[in-house]
This record gives sequence, structure tokens and C-alpha cells, in this order.
Amino acid sequence: MFAYSPLGEHMANSALAVLETALRERKLDRTLTTSLPPLERSDPAAVIPFEIAAVDAVLRGGLPRGQVSELAGPHSSGRTTMLLQLLAAATRGGEIAALIDTCDGLDVASAAAAGIDLNRLLWIRGASSGRVLSALSESKDRIVDRALKALNLVLQAGGFGVVAIDLADVSPRVLRSLPFTTWLRLQRIVEGSDMACLLIVPEPLARSAGGLTVMCTGRTTWNDGRVCRFTGLDTGIRVISPRRRVDGSAAVRALANDSD
Amino acid sequence: MFGALYAAEGTDHRVLETVAREFSPRIEVCSPREITLDLSGLERLFGEARAIAHELRRTAADRGVQVRVAIAGTRTAARLFVHHRAGITVIDRGSEAEMLASLPLGLLDAFGGSAPMARARRGTRPTTPNFQPPTSQPESTPTETLRRWGLRTLGEFAALPSDDVAARLGVAGVEWQRVARGEDQHPLVPALPDERFEQTLELEWPIEGLEPLSFVLGRLMEPLSVHLERRDRGAAVLHIRLYLITRTVHERSLQLPAPMRDARALRTLALLDLESHPPDAAIDRVTVAVEPTPGRVVQFSLLTRPLPSPEQLSTLNARLAALMGEGRCGSPEPVDSWRPGAFAMKPFNPGSGIGDQGSGTDRIPNPGSRIPTTALRRFRTPISARVRVEDGRPVRVEQRGLGGRVEVAAGPWRTSGAWWVADEWNRDEWDVALGDGVTYRVFHERLRTHASEGEAGRVSPRPRSGEGGWFIEGIVD
Repeated sequence: MFAYSPLGEHMANSALAVLETALRERKLDRTLTTSLPPLERSDPAAVIPFEIAAVDAVLRGGLPRGQVSELAGPHSSGRTTMLLQLLAAATRGGEIAALIDTCDGLDVASAAAAGIDLNRLLWIRGASSGRVLSALSESKDRIVDRALKALNLVLQAGGFGVVAIDLADVSPRVLRSLPFTTWLRLQRIVEGSDMACLLIVPEPLARSAGGLTVMCTGRTTWNDGRVCRFTGLDTGIRVISPRRRVDGSAAVRALANDSD
Repeated sequence: MFGALYAAEGTDHRVLETVAREFSPRIEVCSPREITLDLSGLERLFGEARAIAHELRRTAADRGVQVRVAIAGTRTAARLFVHHRAGITVIDRGSEAEMLASLPLGLLDAFGGSAPMARARRGTRPTTPNFQPPTSQPESTPTETLRRWGLRTLGEFAALPSDDVAARLGVAGVEWQRVARGEDQHPLVPALPDERFEQTLELEWPIEGLEPLSFVLGRLMEPLSVHLERRDRGAAVLHIRLYLITRTVHERSLQLPAPMRDARALRTLALLDLESHPPDAAIDRVTVAVEPTPGRVVQFSLLTRPLPSPEQLSTLNARLAALMGEGRCGSPEPVDSWRPGAFAMKPFNPGSGIGDQGSGTDRIPNPGSRIPTTALRRFRTPISARVRVEDGRPVRVEQRGLGGRVEVAAGPWRTSGAWWVADEWNRDEWDVALGDGVTYRVFHERLRTHASEGEAGRVSPRPRSGEGGWFIEGIVD
């Protein structure tokens, strides 16, 4: 039988404060709920918008700067469409962006159609996609390793608004084999900067406390008229965030690129 | 004490300048054939003024240049004498006006014509001693005016009352009178030698590998950077010459995207380039030279986000190129072609394309709507696939690791081009949704029939399994 003691509660609070202070001093406070950014992202300069109203409303303005965020989903879920929209919005806003294209899958025509100012895009091309799909896992490891090194170089150079790494074509098994400290290190580099780091992955990976994890699901739409035509892609956006600070979903309709 | 050298016609001015610099660092180039130099202090080395003049002539003759030499207390007097007399002329200090008095008035034309008068009309002050007469106004030379006054020698002109000369010829007339007296208009303005931004280090022991070389390069870049900063210059091109123990020279040149003089950035760029192109033997001498260019003037804006500096971007580009390979980093650029997936790469230089009419922003189909367009994830090398075709439509796509039954297929969208060159394309494209929910873009590579099989360039109208080949071009994502 325990009796309530004000003195005991006071001691516990003091101990907690000492512990939090010690963690902050050693920069190990990422696990503290008090260190998370505020729920409402009131400062528009602290986020990079997608410039798609439904998505920005769910994300409370856009992707947070100084954090590692993720766009996850399977093939044909609209990840690349969303990525290109983000890059277009950033470059339209006068910022420069970098894309580490691990499997060299960027379609330049799609990028131009999305409205990316290509002069402001640093495109770092990894091995070609065909090679990756048919290569052995050892060479995949090397390709991913090199892409992550390139990502580190770009983040350390600074000055970019968005730095994205496209790991969508890399198998989840290879990604899961990467040490978790890889993502912690990325978080350390970007925190406090104006850069938003974005991972395009087949499944959630980094689980950053301050960043966002956006799950995409997609369904292509077709016109079944006299001539069957591919008309677009309906993408469902669902925000999964640690501690559920930002949560919600939205639907985005992307139209087929007629210039293709 | 000043001297004047006047070389024969056709003399290389660089040789004349070299001869002058061997005697004095303070030289002034009056014309390609004429140089004045400050000879103060040379008496202790060569003796009296005539000995200095002999030494000057002898040195010039050794270089294959015939020169007249005049030494006087003022540069103006030395120049007038060197124009008047061949050989060596030495005038004692203080007697210039007296010795000049007998010289003809026409020397003023040789000295510089009517420039002071022309300047007086323009209201400007003399800035250089090299008075070049405007050839379009020969009638305004002072000598013609002075001759009309009945003057024949410099002494007669010098003896005129200055107030009366000023009243009749203006300020320029007084200036010419001072020239006639042998007085200098302004102090000597030394010409700066062409500076070489170069550093060399001889190594006691040959070095191998990039790590020791980085220290050597750092030691060379530091003074080079200071030198560039003092002259407000930046490096446009960086030359690295490594003298190897095999008596060969390993030379690399880096074209820098913007003038830069940061020692660390230059060293990093040099090292990254040498990582890709290492020398094949040990190094016993290192030379670093830069081609200078005026420094950058940067005006930052409060309204736009700052871009990384050119030094940072150059270093980043070099590091990425070393990591990913040459040509794998840069900005994509659409090309004027209908070829599927055609693009070009150009160096990433975000500052250059701002405001360009051809930038991507101008190609937004409907920028106000913000309705996204679907993107294609392209396999740069299309993946060969097995496709079963029924009634001319693909019904099943199979490839190792992906594929399945075709749920929906749209096509064929026919595209061809460049049939006049070997690198032609001729294909039927299909958008196919498979059972796993993934939408692919596949194409059937159409074969051209030979002339013997029919009309040249005619192709079979419908794809059949086994003809040409099927490939997966990308995934709609």
C-alpha cells in the first residue's frame, strides 16, 4: 500500500528534469517528446509546400525543413509524381534542389512537364535501373552505398532547399540491411539547416521523429471509350508520423502527361 | 637621375623592357620604342653617369637591340635628348635648361605634338607622359604657332614670359614651355611587371600518393591565394604540373566555373582531379600556376534565398564526379528530339539560368492549376521482356522479378525517327496495367523490312510475338 507523497513527486520531477538536461547536453534528446517541433507549423518558411492544396493541408504546410521525411509506397503509387511536384515547387520558389537518383530512373520529360526549373536541379545519377534489377545484391549494396555517400556530400555542402534520394527501385531487403544509424546520421546533418531531406522508399524506413512519413497508394485511371487511353493516376496520401502528431489523408489526381 | 632609352625601329618592346628592368625596377614605358627609367643609386654600382649609359648600351647590344641613351636630371630632358642625339648623351644635373636651349623646336613634335593644347581645350589634366598628338589635327601643333612667332629653338620658347604664353596659348602653352625647359610634369609612374601567379616546390625526396601531395599543394596554394587576394584577382584556370622521377611532366588544367582564390577550395579541387587522373610515378617537383581574372563582385539579395558560393558548388561537383563518375552529375536538359527519353546533361550552375526564357518554369502546361502530371520512372536501358500477344494486343508480360497478366492495355502509340542514321528508333508503345496494380510502359521494337522484301522502310503493321522484341521502358509512378 503506497500513500501519496508530495515530496516523492517533487523528487521524481527533479530527477526527470536532470535526466532531460543531461540528454540535451549530450544531444541525445531526439527521443524526448518535448524536443519535437510544435504541432501547428505556423511559420510558412519552416516548410516546403507541394503546392497541391489537399496535400499541403494534410501536411500542415508541407515538408518540414531541417528534418528527414519519407515518401513511401509501392510501384505506381504516385511517389515519383509527388517528388517531382515538390522539386517543382521548390525550384519555382527560387531554391535549388538536388536529386540523388540511385537507379537513374528520372524521366527528364516528366520533370520538365511537372514544372521543375531544370537549371536549379542537381541531378546525381547512379547506376541504370536495368542494371539494378538484374544485378546481384552485392552490387546493389555498392550502388546504395555510393548513393548515400553522394547524399552526405550534398547535405554537408548545404544551400539546397530540397535534397531527395530516390531509393524506390532498391529492394526493401537491401534497405533493411542498412544500419539504422545511417538515418540518424542524416538527421544530425540536416537538423538546424534550411534543407528538407526526402527519402523515396518502397516502405517506411527512417522513422524520423521530427520528419514526416507519407504513405502513397495509387490507382491508374483509364478511359474506356472507343480507344482505351491511360488518363492519369489517383494517389492516396496518408501521413504516418511517430507519436501521431500529424496524421491525415488526402487524394490527389495526376493527369497523364500528354507529351510522353 | 633619370635615363631614357630609345630603340631602333622594329625592336621588340619586351626586350627593351627587360633591359630596362635589369637596371631599375622603376621604369615608365612611353612608347614601344621608348622607356624612361630612374637611375638613382646606380652610381655606387657602376660609377658615374656615363659609365651607366655605356653599361645600358652594352646590355642592350648583348640582347640584339641598338639603343640611344640619354641621362639627365629630369625625365623630360632625357627624353628630348634621346630623340635629338644618337649614341650616348649625359647632361649634368641642373644644366638641363641650358643644354636644351640650342635644340630645335621641332623636338616638341617628336616629344608629343599638341596633346597639352588639345587637353586644355577639353579641360582635362595630363595623366600620362606619353603625349601622343591627335593625327587628325596636325594644324594645332604648337611648333607651327611658335614658328609663326619667329621662334626656332627650345631656348627661345623657354625664355618667353610665362604669363604672356598663358594669355596666348592657355594652360597647355605653359605646359609646353615647361617641357621646353626640361621640367617634369609629374613624377615617374612605374609600370608594373606582368605578374606570374605561380608557385613551385622542389622536393628533397620524391613523393608518391595523394596524401603527401595534399600537404605540398596546401603549402603552394596558401601564398598563391594571398597573392591573388592582394591583387584582387581570382583563379580562372588552375594548372598543376607534376615533374616525375621518370623525367616526364604530368600536367592537369582545371577550368574553374567562377573566379576563386580560396586556398582550401583550390587544393580540394586539385586533389579530386588528381584522384581521377593520378600520376604514374613519384613526384620530385610540383608547380601550381593560375591564370588570373578580376575578382568577383557579389551583391546579395535580401529577397531571395542565398545560393551556395561557386567555390562550394565547384568542390561539391568535383567530389560528386569523383564518386559517381564523370558526366553523372549536373543539370538535366531537354533536347530537341522526339526520341523517347532523350536528354542532355550540363554542368550544374544555378546562377546562370535564372531568368532564361528556356527554363523549366516557362514550360509549365498550366501553372495556375497546380494539377500534377504523372511521372514515368524510366529504365535507362529498357529491360527485355517476354510478352504474349493476342489479337495484336499484349495480354501477358513476363520478366524476371516482375510482370503478370495484363488487365488494361492502351496503345499502340507508334513513334519512329532518325531512320536516316544508324541510331534509329521505330516502336509501338503500350501502357499496360498488370494484375499486381503496377502500370508499365512497354514497347515493341519494330523491325524494318529490307528492300528485297517490299517497299523500303515499310514495316509490318501489327506486332507479333517473336518479331523484333518487347521491352519495358518504365513504370508510371
